[in-house]
Amino acid sequence: MTAHNPMERWLRIAGVFVLLGLLVEVLALRWVHPAAFLVFAFIGIPIAVMGIVIYLYSLVSLRGSARRT
Amino acid sequence: MISPEALILVLFGLSAGLVLLLVLRPSLTENRNGKILAFVGLFALPILCSFVGTSAQMERSKQTSFCLSCHIMEPYGRSLQVDDPHYIAAAHFQNHRIPTEEACYTCHEDYVLYGGIRSKWRGLHHVYVQYLSKPMNPIHLYVPYNNRECLHCHLGARSFEESPTHTAMHDDLVSNQMSCLTSGCHDTVHNIGGLDKVKFWNGAPLK
Repeated sequence: MTAHNPMERWLRIAGVFVLLGLLVEVLALRWVHPAAFLVFAFIGIPIAVMGIVIYLYSLVSLRGSARRT
Repeated sequence: MISPEALILVLFGLSAGLVLLLVLRPSLTENRNGKILAFVGLFALPILCSFVGTSAQMERSKQTSFCLSCHIMEPYGRSLQVDDPHYIAAAHFQNHRIPTEEACYTCHEDYVLYGGIRSKWRGLHHVYVQYLSKPMNPIHLYVPYNNRECLHCHLGARSFEESPTHTAMHDDLVSNQMSCLTSGCHDTVHNIGGLDKVKFWNGAPLK
């Protein structure tokens, strides 16, 4: 369960964000209420996007540091 | 036949399952196939889910049940069941002149280019007013009702074109100089103030 290298740790963090974002999105989809769209668009999507950005950043930064060493 | 909602749930479930696998076993990404799996799970599928979900939310926000889920809209929903043909919203709803499952949206959408987007923006404004400001009392439209929304369906229809009253004021109606809701014409729309004095028809449940 423990992450052995920085890449795996970043993947895990990104995964948790994406998972949380997807969970909020799916709950908002099941919720029949005018605020459901707001929860979906302004909470669910940003959390998932944060996970995607962390994943992409980890790809770029760790590849850059591997090249330097 | 699988419903679109079920397909969306399957897509979300698949994405969440894949992400969960990557969270629990990040070492899977050490080889080339694992890297592709991570790209699909942490990039492609979440973006696809967000797009599909946004589209589903947009579609759902057109539904009568969605509009009426806001407490303040409750009397407007009840007005659709008034047993009186002079109540124009009720007459349209009960006689299926509009799709009953999208009753509010059908009459309150702007029938222009990007009208749907404008309607959604107005919907966001409603939510802002509800939660962060003070709703109007009594609530009313932000701008006078435009004849364009009525004429989107009625213009060219025989019942409209052959009516002597409509013929006499045709140009004024089309140019919006004279409202369809002018006093003495179709002036009884929702009239929620008088709902305690009218009879109700329960043949078409709100959905």
